[in-house]
Amino acid sequence: MNMTRPLAAIVGRELKRLLRQRGRLLSSMARPLIWLLVIGGGFGSMLSQFGREGYQQFLVPGVLCMVLLFGALLSALSLVYDKESGVMRMLIVAPFSRTWIILARTFSGSLVGLAHALLLLAVLALLGFIHWPFNVGLLALGMIATALLSASLGMLIAVFSKTLENFAVIMNFFIFPVFFLSGALYPIDHLPQALRVITWVNPFSYGVDLLKHAFPPPEGNEVFATDFTVGLDVAMLALWIAVALMTACARFSRPRMMERFAARLSASRRS
Amino acid sequence: MSGGRGLERAGLPPASSQLGRDRIVTMAIRARALRKRYDGVTAVDGLDLDVAEGEFFGLLGPNGAGKTTTIHILATLTRPDDGELRVADCDVREEPVRVRSRIGLVFQESALDGTLSAWENLCFTGALHGLSQPDVEERAGELLNLFDLGAKKNARVATLSGGMRRALDIARGLLHRPQVLFLDEPTLGLDVINRRAIWRFLERLRQQRGMTMLLTTHYLEEARNCDRVVFLDRGKPIERGQPAELIARMGEYILEIEPVCSEYRARALAAELGQPIQENERLLFRVPPGKADVASLQERMRGEASSIRLRKPDLNDVYVWTHHKNVDRA
Repeated sequence: MNMTRPLAAIVGRELKRLLRQRGRLLSSMARPLIWLLVIGGGFGSMLSQFGREGYQQFLVPGVLCMVLLFGALLSALSLVYDKESGVMRMLIVAPFSRTWIILARTFSGSLVGLAHALLLLAVLALLGFIHWPFNVGLLALGMIATALLSASLGMLIAVFSKTLENFAVIMNFFIFPVFFLSGALYPIDHLPQALRVITWVNPFSYGVDLLKHAFPPPEGNEVFATDFTVGLDVAMLALWIAVALMTACARFSRPRMMERFAARLSASRRS
Repeated sequence: MSGGRGLERAGLPPASSQLGRDRIVTMAIRARALRKRYDGVTAVDGLDLDVAEGEFFGLLGPNGAGKTTTIHILATLTRPDDGELRVADCDVREEPVRVRSRIGLVFQESALDGTLSAWENLCFTGALHGLSQPDVEERAGELLNLFDLGAKKNARVATLSGGMRRALDIARGLLHRPQVLFLDEPTLGLDVINRRAIWRFLERLRQQRGMTMLLTTHYLEEARNCDRVVFLDRGKPIERGQPAELIARMGEYILEIEPVCSEYRARALAAELGQPIQENERLLFRVPPGKADVASLQERMRGEASSIRLRKPDLNDVYVWTHHKNVDRA
């Protein structure tokens, strides 16, 4: 069977939902802007007292990654919500493999994240935070890779969690630490050793760093420089995406998982 | 396929009675020794099943009999521990995706997106099955008309009544023109009016399409229109056959006496009518043809029974008797 029609349908549904919830799309712009304007403005003016200019500019890759993380990860996490809803039942009885469901959802989640990021990019450009020239290729690569990473991590969480009740737990113990310890808010180099090790393990750091490469700081601004090489960023992102997706697919394809889905199709067999 | 149906409507035996005799019948479902255990409980225990193409087949039994697990196995959603299984010319274990492309599934919980309209739901399903948009629109229009949902085309699913939602769910299961339609308790949770409506739709569907349907239900009276049925009990088939034949085997009438009469009286009746079955506060006897004499019964039972009732047997009686026979044997 030609898989482009089903994929288009899944992506179309996700984007339609995004447009229907315009309020949510706009409010998801608020979070990064608060970080950039309020926190960035405050810390930026403090740092400039010590002769370190450009903190707000330094935050731009970080907040872009932030909307990618929230947008794509939450969209992918909606799989947990969907487990309870009719849509997942439609996918379960449709003629494609379980692996394909995970990949299609990852793809559509990534697109949702990218839609958020593009909107923020436009807002940032209007506010004068995007300065030409920047590396368009690296920006695109970084955004796509970070979106895929965030959606894959969302999938990984989704296939391991039973309900969305632990949503707050995921938020506090996963999303925020991943964001804080990624070099999005401060350069990694100056962190204590223990935290620095965490940022090296954190895949999100490499997405943030890739975007920092796309928006190079002005000459001589060594404090706000990039942390890794582009090659390392790409390699680590690819590795993490592959590992997360393979694990999610394997878990989602287990017969046991399917039995649980099947049980949800039939009210009388609730185990 | 539809030829057999025509005969049946003309009062002749259904096509399935000729199974394996006059003609070569293609099997839509063929299962051998299916077995499935969940956490130490055997849900399906050595089930053989043959469903011919075009047949309307009922999988019957009380809750917990293994119907739902069986239908999940047949529909590729649960892997059997053991046994052979072919559905729509494919091995279910080897090619589950191919099987899913050839079957339609309608379960107790509807597989619809409540945030989308009836029409959008069908378009989404059609796309998931790889159908082109013009195809989807043509078929969706037909199905909505078939199920009297034309006027609700643009209504959001969440606003539809339970009966309409079920009808739409069945339309969803049919959109890709499956070879076999699986219906798991299609009328569960619906009121009488909606249950009748769903059956009217299914009857229309059989007449128009002549497709193979496999149904589970614990409302046994709904299965009397099946070509053949199998009764399951604790995962085992305990009886199978054509509903009319199975019912005919029960005798002419069922005699219900309430409350249970004295043992002496019961023994006297048993000598005449055969062993009764006690169901709650009632004794049930099978009455062979020509033996039903209510007047003399009333005379003899005077003062002992508050109610004596003679009625035609139905599939519930078939189940009750086979179940008891099975328990006695065990």
